[in-house]
Amino acid sequence: MKIKVDKKKCTGCHLCEMVCSLVHVGVINTEKSAIRVEKDDLDTSLHEPVVCRRCKEMTCLTDEDVEEDQERKTYLWSKSRAERCPFRALSVFDDVAFHCDLCGGRPQCVKVCTSKAISI
Amino acid sequence: MQILSQYDTAHLDPFSPENPLIFGAGLLTGTLGFGSRINITSKSPESGHLGDSNMGGDFGAELVKAGLSHVVITGKSPKPVCLYIRNGAVEIRDALELQGLDTVETQKRIRRDLGDPKTQIACIGPAGENLVRFAAIRSGLKSAAGRTGMGAVMGSKNLKAVAVRGTLDIHIRHPERYLNYYLFNLRRLMGSKWVQALGKQGTPLLFRLANAAGFLSVRNNQYTTVGDQGRLLEAEALEPYSTGMLACFSCPAHCRHRFTVIKGPYAGTQGEGPEYASIGSLGTKLGNLDLENIIQAVELCNRYGLDTISTGAYIAWAMELFQRGIIDQKTTDMPLSWGDGKGILDLIQQIAFRRGFGHILAEGPYAEKIFGEESKCYLLSVKNFPIEMTDERVPKSFALGMATSTRGACHMRSRPSIDVLGLPQEVLDKIYGGPVSSELTSYSGKGRMVWWHELLNAVCDSLGFCRFLTVFSSPRAPQYRQFSRLIELATGLRITPKALMDVGERIYTLERMMLVQEGLCRRDDTLPQRYFDEPIAEGPAKGAVITREDFDGMLDEYYGLHGWDRGGVPKVGTLRRLGIKSLNDFI
Repeated sequence: MKIKVDKKKCTGCHLCEMVCSLVHVGVINTEKSAIRVEKDDLDTSLHEPVVCRRCKEMTCLTDEDVEEDQERKTYLWSKSRAERCPFRALSVFDDVAFHCDLCGGRPQCVKVCTSKAISI
Repeated sequence: MQILSQYDTAHLDPFSPENPLIFGAGLLTGTLGFGSRINITSKSPESGHLGDSNMGGDFGAELVKAGLSHVVITGKSPKPVCLYIRNGAVEIRDALELQGLDTVETQKRIRRDLGDPKTQIACIGPAGENLVRFAAIRSGLKSAAGRTGMGAVMGSKNLKAVAVRGTLDIHIRHPERYLNYYLFNLRRLMGSKWVQALGKQGTPLLFRLANAAGFLSVRNNQYTTVGDQGRLLEAEALEPYSTGMLACFSCPAHCRHRFTVIKGPYAGTQGEGPEYASIGSLGTKLGNLDLENIIQAVELCNRYGLDTISTGAYIAWAMELFQRGIIDQKTTDMPLSWGDGKGILDLIQQIAFRRGFGHILAEGPYAEKIFGEESKCYLLSVKNFPIEMTDERVPKSFALGMATSTRGACHMRSRPSIDVLGLPQEVLDKIYGGPVSSELTSYSGKGRMVWWHELLNAVCDSLGFCRFLTVFSSPRAPQYRQFSRLIELATGLRITPKALMDVGERIYTLERMMLVQEGLCRRDDTLPQRYFDEPIAEGPAKGAVITREDFDGMLDEYYGLHGWDRGGVPKVGTLRRLGIKSLNDFI
């Protein structure tokens, strides 16, 4: 399972970010979300949700002696892992990276995406 | 508004340094709610009394993320400055280099200088700098605190922009229950046909309805429909220009268009909008049915920082005066004719930079001093504030709402759009708690309808919610009960639905007291002369007019429900019950 992004449909409402932080850390803080909306509201380009792509080969964990399946289920990651991601898909705030754990199998961000820019 | 009421504004020139400019986010702005808006409040240099304008977009939420709910600005800077707020820290920066830049360039420059593309900015353009009395404050490509000249107040303080950036946590009292309750309401809301249509076409979908019913302002309300030609300006006509729908912060409805004009004289123009209010104000109101020209006109207003509604209203006024020979080219420097797209663009530029005839129009209603006494009745206004893109002679509830709106002619204070749905009497009676006629053209119960919506809308604004997601056009939309529950789950505050309604009453009566303090009363709760004296000449609304006797009856019912006397002054008992000081104590 992974979150599929159709960037053409993203309206830039940030609801996915708000819900992600609320579910994982109990506060609303769009900086602490594993999904982020790249947005330039002064340009005419549209927006793009960016989130972990669940790569088969996890470049992000290179040189780390950890269990991949276990790490896939965790939300708080180290900044160095985010830096190794070839897609720059992880959000980083205060030297902490936020990784999509798919909310244990029931992603909450998808529930609030009314334009269906993100789906499972 | 409560903060504004603490200043002695009745004796202030709106351009004086003492006039406060107040940015106020809603209680639930920045959270999962029904919108995430901010109110900008001050004494209006356009109407001359209380002013405020409510803005969507992302600015309000960013202010909350930065740890602030309100910012009050008084005084005047000797040189142009920008206010920069980051996580509660406030800094005043030089803005000399930003002078003269339009609203989009201003924001781009500030973001570049700060090196942070997530900074949200509310700024003015040349119109605000030049103290055009109906200048707007803008954010993003289109979000606007458009009405009542808040941009001119900002310009008078030499404040070019307020830039905010926040990364702080917004704490939620009961996260899990709050999210579940939100999701439940979200599903219900998104099931509404109204919200679904809004998300596809945006507010332009209202154009067809208004045109078909004869609710439009055409040629300064000399007509109220453009008949079959309306298809030129309907939502479908905008589709070729649309590049996608956008949302304000935390809004599930996403009713905003982005557009690009590819061909023709305006090829290359890009931006957001236009909204129905702007299509009407810079289109049909001016006899202009050229959609690409309207898009260009709206974009110019956005860039220069002008309110599209008032800009259209004052140009329409001048055009009718020219049509009737009350003013001529000696005053205007150019011939004014209905539908002259190029002339409209020229006038917008002249107004923003106060050049030529634009210098006169930039004074808004005060241009009457130049145009003469005879001109007065052709500026369709209420409380010295111009009527918008519509005509209210058919729907009596809309008409009363225009007349009683505390900021002057305004559909956002109450407009009970659900009146057009012709809902069964028992449904209306249940919503409004008393008898309300289901006939759109009936005066019966419409005082109650307007009173009820004024209270609800005041609460919506205080919470940061959007009209479109509450009872504006759908009776199934969230109301006090849902608001009360969300407030409790988000903040822990227990405010019953009844107590929330009291809050709405308190706000509206407080605003009323501020008007009373300025000397306004029942005689000011009225409509343009044309609405009473000129039945609509043709089209689907032919013959519609407001009768003074019936209008007075609505007003009596309305005052009674508010607890105001027959002169429109809040009674002492009402003030005491609401905890508002009496007029004598009121500053």
